[in-house]
Amino acid sequence: MDFEQSPDHFVGTARVGGKPKKAPVPVKIIVAGGFGVGKTTTVGAISEISPLTTEAEMTSESVGIDDPGQATMKTTTTIAMDFGVLTIDQTLKLYIFGTPGQSRFAFMWDDLIKGALGALVVVDTARIDDCYPAVDYFERAGLPFVVGVNTFNGQMNYNLEEVRWALAVREDVPVLSFDARFRASVRDALLVVLDQALDKAIRARST
Amino acid sequence: MTYPDPDDAAHPARPSVRPFLQSGPSSAGGYRPLPSSEPPAEDQATTLRPFVITSGRTDGADPDIGMETQVTVNHAAMPMRLSPEMRAIVALCGEPHSVAEISARLRLHLGVTRILVGDLRAAGQLDVHVLDNETPDPETIMRVIRGLRAIT
Repeated sequence: MDFEQSPDHFVGTARVGGKPKKAPVPVKIIVAGGFGVGKTTTVGAISEISPLTTEAEMTSESVGIDDPGQATMKTTTTIAMDFGVLTIDQTLKLYIFGTPGQSRFAFMWDDLIKGALGALVVVDTARIDDCYPAVDYFERAGLPFVVGVNTFNGQMNYNLEEVRWALAVREDVPVLSFDARFRASVRDALLVVLDQALDKAIRARST
Repeated sequence: MTYPDPDDAAHPARPSVRPFLQSGPSSAGGYRPLPSSEPPAEDQATTLRPFVITSGRTDGADPDIGMETQVTVNHAAMPMRLSPEMRAIVALCGEPHSVAEISARLRLHLGVTRILVGDLRAAGQLDVHVLDNETPDPETIMRVIRGLRAIT
């Protein structure tokens, strides 16, 4: 995104005056899913910076890792979380956090979903059950979420109705397919998440 | 924000902090080896190492400080002696940054970052911009939707 960096707006004047820049309001969307389903690709496709990685502590035994190629090698006690940023305007920033979808990471989800707009659960049809814990958790937490089947290899082993049946998500939870490699595709998936978030926010206001 | 007193024998700062980091009930006689019933927790060393920067504290992070919470430097703050990690955080926050960005850019553990940011806030060095309403309002969501639609 280039338009927010137009040089003669208040980016420049804030420095001349020596005044601290006003901090933007942050909002966030969670991208959850099993190992290797394309979370980082999803985050990277939409983020205006290359995804950053932060490490969080993992107290339980770490068996799985975020790379199916080295599944037996890693024994560290920290887990990496990728995230990206999208500047909506000078006062609003969207953060996209990719988080492992396994239940043993649930200890960090409480923190993560606090104030989140919603979640995109990324699914690989070869390993649908990887995302059960995330779906369970978001359902119980009342966080709006969307199931996104990543078609990164150009094919799906099951159609969307079959995925919906396998996940047993409520009728009002959208199940869609997208391609994590393409920005427009990720954008459209996130727009569906935001639609759900908007519905919830409007319902919350009217009650 | 209160932190447990590490010298308070009745309430050790943290049960899993390795014994020599806190004075135990019988510390009057100086260092004593642990009774053999408590084997040294070797696996905890790797877990705790990042928290040496926080003097072993792993809790006490301000619950207000989320991963996306924006942090800026407080230009009116009095200069004070800071650890290298804290200096790096203050230097970075000349521009607004989220806690997660600070953690990633300085390669600091996320939990450590939250504690240090909380300390710097308490010391008046940083402004932590806590949102008034935790749940996003429809207007904000509409702005995000419009912003996303605008990208190609």
